[in-house]
Amino acid sequence: MEVKGIWITENISDPKKGMDRKRSEFMRRVYKIMKKVQLEAGQLKGGQDLTADQLNDLLVTLGKKRCKSSFRTLFDFYAPRLKSFFLKVGTTEEIAEELIQETFVQIWRKAQTYDPSKAASSTWIFTIARNRRIDRFRSEKSYIFEDDSYLHKHLVMEESQSQSVFEKEIGHKMHKALARLPANQSEIIKMSFFQDLSHGEIAECLSLPLGTVKSRIRLAFKQLRSILAELDQ
Amino acid sequence: MINHHLSDEMILAYAAGALSEGQAMVVHCHLEYCDHCAARLREAEALGGALLEELDVPTLTSLDFDDMFAKIEVSEEMQEPLSMETSDTLQERATPAMLRNILGHGIEDVKWKRVGPGIRQYVLPLDLQEGENVRLLRLSPGFVTPMHTHRGSEMTLVLQGSFCDETGRYAVGDIQDADGDLDHQPVADTDVDCICLAVTTAPLQFRGLIGKLMQPLVGI
Repeated sequence: MEVKGIWITENISDPKKGMDRKRSEFMRRVYKIMKKVQLEAGQLKGGQDLTADQLNDLLVTLGKKRCKSSFRTLFDFYAPRLKSFFLKVGTTEEIAEELIQETFVQIWRKAQTYDPSKAASSTWIFTIARNRRIDRFRSEKSYIFEDDSYLHKHLVMEESQSQSVFEKEIGHKMHKALARLPANQSEIIKMSFFQDLSHGEIAECLSLPLGTVKSRIRLAFKQLRSILAELDQ
Repeated sequence: MINHHLSDEMILAYAAGALSEGQAMVVHCHLEYCDHCAARLREAEALGGALLEELDVPTLTSLDFDDMFAKIEVSEEMQEPLSMETSDTLQERATPAMLRNILGHGIEDVKWKRVGPGIRQYVLPLDLQEGENVRLLRLSPGFVTPMHTHRGSEMTLVLQGSFCDETGRYAVGDIQDADGDLDHQPVADTDVDCICLAVTTAPLQFRGLIGKLMQPLVGI
């Protein structure tokens, strides 16, 4: 599938070139069909190779045009990862898949509020998934996280343009930054996100004093910020 | 101008959805005041997003895109369109939106209960986990809180006026996150009543005679 995809882009990128009108019309049609096949090929692959920018664009297109094929591509990319996430935080397989569905219902409904200058699609989708989980297991707390976009809508307005650009970039660079974090720091960050443990419980789990867990988190954020700043230059 | 911010641990725990209800609520209220912490939260959420992308990709067993989409299309017809309205800024409202939603009104209409000379409180009607409490505290100017320490943690957000203690001065929007190590004696230090939103995860330990007498009254 992948090889076919490359062939299509390289060979049919300019159907008009050096062709008579009739032929070019034919080729344009072929090009259109091939493009569609190529798109579907990408979808079948589960979107493994999508870049952060492509994912953001898909979400924007979904919001603007209610585009089913963008929605499907996002589903193929994020649904398995969300399953991993929900399983890690301790749900059963059945509930994990229910939560994925709930997350995608929200994505469909709220895509129009997504602003790629403020957050990467992964960030935006993560917060929706997190909120669905809270809603399911601690419904008494769900009102706090109810309005996903509240903080984004109301608090970001004050900030300068440059700050927003920086934040957009953050999502893209976070992977690199994470990889450069010392293992004992990234371990605690991952546990915080994926094991539904308080920092006190993480301390117990790792047989560390709570103060050490806290100082590692602070160190991790300090390092992440300096790595991100370095990547910016 | 906010001078006292949330710690990285609090931001991380909020981003991960791991805070208790009371703590999450007070953190949310601080975020309404504080662009700096709101930006740090987005940083932590970006971290969550990056980690999500790095996860492995198990196959879905019963969930299918087309079935899901069919359900969405059916429910779509019954859904009302998403409202995009914006509300006033915090400066215009004086009470954080989250708190206003819970109270049903602003802090000016709170039905305070007197717990001692110069101190009134209102316990929020929330169904919290055991030991946790969220309350509004109202200290008269010059009121000196009896010296106390904490078994759990106490997080305090200033909504009106200011207080100061051994760790500094806290004005509107500032947040103090005190844990078991802090032994302090906050004083309301402006000429208006100091109103705070405070969450405690375990009873405070008052020291001295006045404090001991007040313990059952405050019920903290």
